[in-house]
Amino acid sequence: MAKKVGIVGAAITPFKGRWYQKTYYELAQMATREAVADAAISIKDVDSVFYGIYNDIFERACIPEHPLQGILGMQNKFGIRISTGGATGAYTLSAAHAYLAGERFKTALVMGVEKATDCFDFKSMSATPEVIKTIAWSGDTFFEQNIGWTASDSYAEVVLGYMDEYPGTLKPEITAQISALLSQQARTNPYAQRQFDQVTPEEVMNSRYIVYPFKELEICVYSEGAAALILAEEETAKAIAKNSGKPIIWITGLGEANEHSFAGKNQKDMSHIVSDYLGSRRAYEMAGIKDPTKAVQLVELHDAFIHQLEISMAEFGLVPYQTVDSLIEDGLILPGGKYLVNPCGGLSYCGHAVGASNIMSAWSARNELIKRKLKTALIHGTGSTISQYTACAILENE
Amino acid sequence: MPEKRQKLIPDEFIPEIRSRVITLDNQDYLLQNDTMYTFYERSMGELSPFFLAIKNEKKILGCKCSKCGIVRVPPMMTHCPDCEFAPTGLVEVSQVGKMNTTPPITYFATSLFLDKAPFGRGRVILEGADTALSVMLYTTTGILVPGLIKKGTEVKIIFRDERVGQISDIYCVPTSELTPEQVTKKGLQESELNWAKPKEPQFPKPTDNDTANFKQCLKEMQALAVKMSQSKRARKAIEGWRRNITVRTKAGEFAIYINNGDFRIEEKKLSSPDFIMACEDPKTLLDGLMYKGAITDSVIMKRLWISKNLEFNTIFKLDRLARFLVMEQKEKTAK
Repeated sequence: MAKKVGIVGAAITPFKGRWYQKTYYELAQMATREAVADAAISIKDVDSVFYGIYNDIFERACIPEHPLQGILGMQNKFGIRISTGGATGAYTLSAAHAYLAGERFKTALVMGVEKATDCFDFKSMSATPEVIKTIAWSGDTFFEQNIGWTASDSYAEVVLGYMDEYPGTLKPEITAQISALLSQQARTNPYAQRQFDQVTPEEVMNSRYIVYPFKELEICVYSEGAAALILAEEETAKAIAKNSGKPIIWITGLGEANEHSFAGKNQKDMSHIVSDYLGSRRAYEMAGIKDPTKAVQLVELHDAFIHQLEISMAEFGLVPYQTVDSLIEDGLILPGGKYLVNPCGGLSYCGHAVGASNIMSAWSARNELIKRKLKTALIHGTGSTISQYTACAILENE
Repeated sequence: MPEKRQKLIPDEFIPEIRSRVITLDNQDYLLQNDTMYTFYERSMGELSPFFLAIKNEKKILGCKCSKCGIVRVPPMMTHCPDCEFAPTGLVEVSQVGKMNTTPPITYFATSLFLDKAPFGRGRVILEGADTALSVMLYTTTGILVPGLIKKGTEVKIIFRDERVGQISDIYCVPTSELTPEQVTKKGLQESELNWAKPKEPQFPKPTDNDTANFKQCLKEMQALAVKMSQSKRARKAIEGWRRNITVRTKAGEFAIYINNGDFRIEEKKLSSPDFIMACEDPKTLLDGLMYKGAITDSVIMKRLWISKNLEFNTIFKLDRLARFLVMEQKEKTAK
């Protein structure tokens, strides 16, 4: 029988468009220092470290985690890096859970960090074209990189595929309202990159096209920052919680799926995010959730794109595919609605420091479960080309 | 159409060895120009026949499973994972097919593709294939706009005149823009197509109202430009950028000067602008600068004409300029 595993400490650094003041060494240590302080333990009490770092080129180093082993005080202990595109953070959480549940270790540090916007295009004198170029090295090396593949256009393919399948959904006024809602939710998150950037639905609809059908204010921002969790197996978690006085948030379900990266017969169905469907169902099954619409109260969803947030909610079984806009039209995610989605502002407004993002989501979910006395949250990470990868986790308040 | 590059890394992408200091909260921080580069002589291995067929024979190949018969394009595997790795064999497929889904259109591209935007990229299922080939999409009629190519739209593979054995040697255009002979011809090259040339729009003679509108819009834009030049945040949107732009409207012409954070508008004719914008009503541009609708979208929707597609990049910066000014004002209020 696998051991129960819980979160006993968590912290993030502020997410920023650029951290001129800190390298990824310091960002990683900042989050780690705060996480062990939150758990009221010493770093010496942590047996293992799981690094979530997405892109070597961002950090300008292969094996970017190797200096962190010493900087984080983890020398001579187990350390492994996970890199699964946008889903890096959620997969890192999943990997750490497996090692603790399998009794390899009693405690683990799950630390994600990314320093993305040092990348700079000297031709246009701006960072963004170089940042998206750096991400674009993630496209298929033989068949797609040379024809302008980007993360945005590959997700847009799936979104347009969904709109082909379910015409009349993902209406511009709905995605605009969701973006505006997330901007309001970020207002109370002091770590959010866009804490004071509250936008109106009109502003979202008036913002420029980046990649059709995505407008600028319907896309997450690139961020720099770090996030860390302290995980522990059941007995150790209880001892830590007793000392810290903070409740344990149990990780009761995990589910992952990686789809085919090419489309067509027996390959990727471009009108769905099957990885989200399978990842969430596997997590529900492990957590013993029969009806997610009754169990899930809080969702920290990887909103790389607002349209994709809507599709992911449908793939999770929380809203029907054909009436996905009821998220707003029926008030499902509006204040006081059935689901609390991305109270931190999500990746759109808190920020997307890729390796750290889903760990930030877990940090936020833990805070909200405790603060609002909620029972169950779903954490989600999506990544790779055409939303190929998904990792989901169910968190439960004891 | 994009031109072939002669060097793997064009000179204009390569910055000088240099550093600078930025001061934040009275503390100096060092920023260094840097790079991380690796050159390759790549082995195309089992994919060689596919790329050689494109380069030398102007053919598209797929791989057919000897057991289930599925034809995959591109032929990315020599054995079928659905049939316990039964061997596949290469087959030629048609150069006409239908879009698997509605394709996205990239307006804001990566630094490597800024000169190619706007372009579509989507997946076409060629006749004779079961899977979709990822392709760039263009229209011969000008700027690619939403709705022009959709799920099910029939498209044709076009071969570039100069081919190097890469997937970028081909792209697609809608067959509705081709003659029946071109649709049926194998190995149709881009030089055989009738590409629309950018043509500056001509406007009718202005009325007195148009002239008054021009004066008013110009005055408002000039006032806005002063605010933008004074805004720390807005200046960042055009940091390091320099352009002199002629703007032609129905009732008059003026100049926009962008100079490393400074933004100025004057009623003046430029003798050699970097590029020209033309819009019948100057309010189109004024609204964009006032953050009431994106200037980018005005170009896409043909309300605003630009003489060089590459200057989409400057248009993006103007949109950012407008947004950053509003953001700064909002943040001040919020804090």
